[in-house]
Amino acid sequence: MITFHDVYKTYLMGETRVEALQGVTVELPERRLAVIMGPSGSGKSTLLHLAGCLDTPTRGRVNYNGTDLGALSSRGRADFRAKSVGFVFQKFNLIPNLTALRNVEIPLLLQNKPASEARKRALDALNAVELSDRMHHRPSKLSGGEQQRVAIARSLINDPKLILADEPTGNLDTQTGQRILLLLKSLVEKGKTVVVVTHNPEIAASADTLVLLRDGKVESFSTSHGKEGRV
Amino acid sequence: MTLHLVKLAISNIRSRRTRSWLTILGVLIGVTAVVSLLSIGTGVEQAVLQQFKDIGYDIIVITSGGAGRAFAGGPMGAAGFDGPPGMTGAPTSPTGSSFAPGEMGEAATAPGTATTGRTFSPGQIGASSNTTSSSSSSTPAAQTSTQAVPVVDTDALLKAVAGLVEAGNLGTRVVSVDGPLASGFLRVTTPSLSFLSAFPSILGGFKIASGTTFTNTTENEVVIGARSAGSLGIGVGDGITIDGKGFTVVGILAPSKATSAESSAASRSTRAGAARAVASTANGISGGASLLARGMTNTDDSLFVLQERAVSLWSSQAANSFTIVRMATGVKVAEVMTNISAELAAQGVKATPVSVQQIAASIQGTLGMIETVLASIAAVALIVGGVGLMNTMYTSVLERTREIGILKAVGARDGQVLALFLVDSGLMGLIGGVLGLLLGGVLSFFGTRLLGPALGVGSFQPVFGATLIVGVLVASFVIGALSGTWPAWRASRLNPVEALAAE
Repeated sequence: MITFHDVYKTYLMGETRVEALQGVTVELPERRLAVIMGPSGSGKSTLLHLAGCLDTPTRGRVNYNGTDLGALSSRGRADFRAKSVGFVFQKFNLIPNLTALRNVEIPLLLQNKPASEARKRALDALNAVELSDRMHHRPSKLSGGEQQRVAIARSLINDPKLILADEPTGNLDTQTGQRILLLLKSLVEKGKTVVVVTHNPEIAASADTLVLLRDGKVESFSTSHGKEGRV
Repeated sequence: MTLHLVKLAISNIRSRRTRSWLTILGVLIGVTAVVSLLSIGTGVEQAVLQQFKDIGYDIIVITSGGAGRAFAGGPMGAAGFDGPPGMTGAPTSPTGSSFAPGEMGEAATAPGTATTGRTFSPGQIGASSNTTSSSSSSTPAAQTSTQAVPVVDTDALLKAVAGLVEAGNLGTRVVSVDGPLASGFLRVTTPSLSFLSAFPSILGGFKIASGTTFTNTTENEVVIGARSAGSLGIGVGDGITIDGKGFTVVGILAPSKATSAESSAASRSTRAGAARAVASTANGISGGASLLARGMTNTDDSLFVLQERAVSLWSSQAANSFTIVRMATGVKVAEVMTNISAELAAQGVKATPVSVQQIAASIQGTLGMIETVLASIAAVALIVGGVGLMNTMYTSVLERTREIGILKAVGARDGQVLALFLVDSGLMGLIGGVLGLLLGGVLSFFGTRLLGPALGVGSFQPVFGATLIVGVLVASFVIGALSGTWPAWRASRLNPVEALAAE
């Protein structure tokens, strides 16, 4: 379970002070598809970054299964990202000069796993997203949908319990977006906790938990069971 | 992990192929300069020192006339020739090439001016030749009254100084020569009998190709260098006039190892001047250094008359004069030198003893200094290459900011990002180092072929010690890694969110 307790996040954009999150308190349950929606600048991505240890809160606490993520050291945050979480980005964020296979291998190699093991698990992950026939292609030779599936394979390579996806269908056509959505839903069925930031109402309709943010605050929270969440 | 980092770094280098190669080129040029200069420098040093080693570190050279007397050119150089009658009449060198003032200055010292260091001039040559042609008994050399140099009594020296086992005198002077085919000035070398028996190697072995060596000290006998014999058109048993005195040719020497091309290249090249400056580095030992290091490599152009005979024929004429002595094993050099000086003073000879060890150490010191200066200049090229590498790495960090963000998002630690960039830059440095080592090696081999004859040290090989090879490879990797340190540190400190947001 991911819990945000009165979380504030402030950063500087040039000389402008931006209050990205202003006292967010919310709980996202395990093994569910949680969707965070809201207009641009509402703090959706910031919330996701805090959940994935890509950033630390200015104030408040972010807990993941009892661990205060804000209290982790730089190395502890890196380890958390390496082992406990997988990221899927709108822009795919694959390393351009590496093949699909090597992109998927990278997280394991960074953990000093043997090359043979990394290779085997990367092949399995690419098989799971039905891309084994494209594994030796570089990202520039793959379509948007294929790149996103490679990114999903990479996020799964460490078998993390938490998958964080930031606008995963934002750069894809509708049909490909639906395919990615099915893929994410299948991960939930396999026991993963998937948190998706999106503007896509189709994904929101599939959510077990829906958080609506506005101006850095939680505007509404709902679950598929109809009960209001804690805000 | 290191292997993965290296693989990742290689793929990064390959993905930016043109810029990577340009960066590597900068390092390569620096390493090439360092390798070629150091290997050639060490090769020259070893070649020069080998010559001293061949002569022997137990040798002491006594230079008559006091310290600081420069030995201009080798003692066996040709002074000048008239062309044979019926030919062009223009003065020519023994090899038949056109006469040049520069050659004269290198090859010979004017008659009667040896002790003052003045050199021949073409005007003098013409005048001398004409005089010689018309009246062989009256040469400028014979007419010039100069300071006589007393000859060291080597027998007395051996008796007086404990620790000496052999001694011999060697002199040189320029004389006028009349031969069947040509006439002109030649340098005559006057070894004593004891010198010939003790130190033949200093005269290139004094190998007789035809005829015999000297048979007695009472008759006017001359042994002639191979090229002089050809130029003068004489053979064994022929008569020849030297400074108006009749001599019989008893032997002709085998050609020396030093080729005419080498000796003429050495005399013409400006680099030869630099080399000679090195060989003559210390004023006090210049004569001995030149004598031992250079002068004895070419016996082809000289005439040889026994000193025992020469002193009675040219008693009033100046000459370069050396005495070579060999020490017994294990004696104290300083003590022997002091005793030699005392004995020379007792004999009334103004001369300076210098040991081969001193000469070699002095030359080694000078060569070492030159090597250091050259290596320092080359090191600047290497540093420039390093700065180029730093620029590339800095640009690379800016370009790869997003990639750094991706790596951090998938679990890379700060240290791993730092290491990745360090391996990247270090690898480029190392590639530049390896290629520079190979190119420097190739250039060195070609360089030594050109420089050997020009420096007058014959053929020599560049020296690639393990220290040089390992040092260059380590240094190029370290310079590469150091150049990448700051950019790599910046990369490692990047905030993942900001890095991912970079375009």
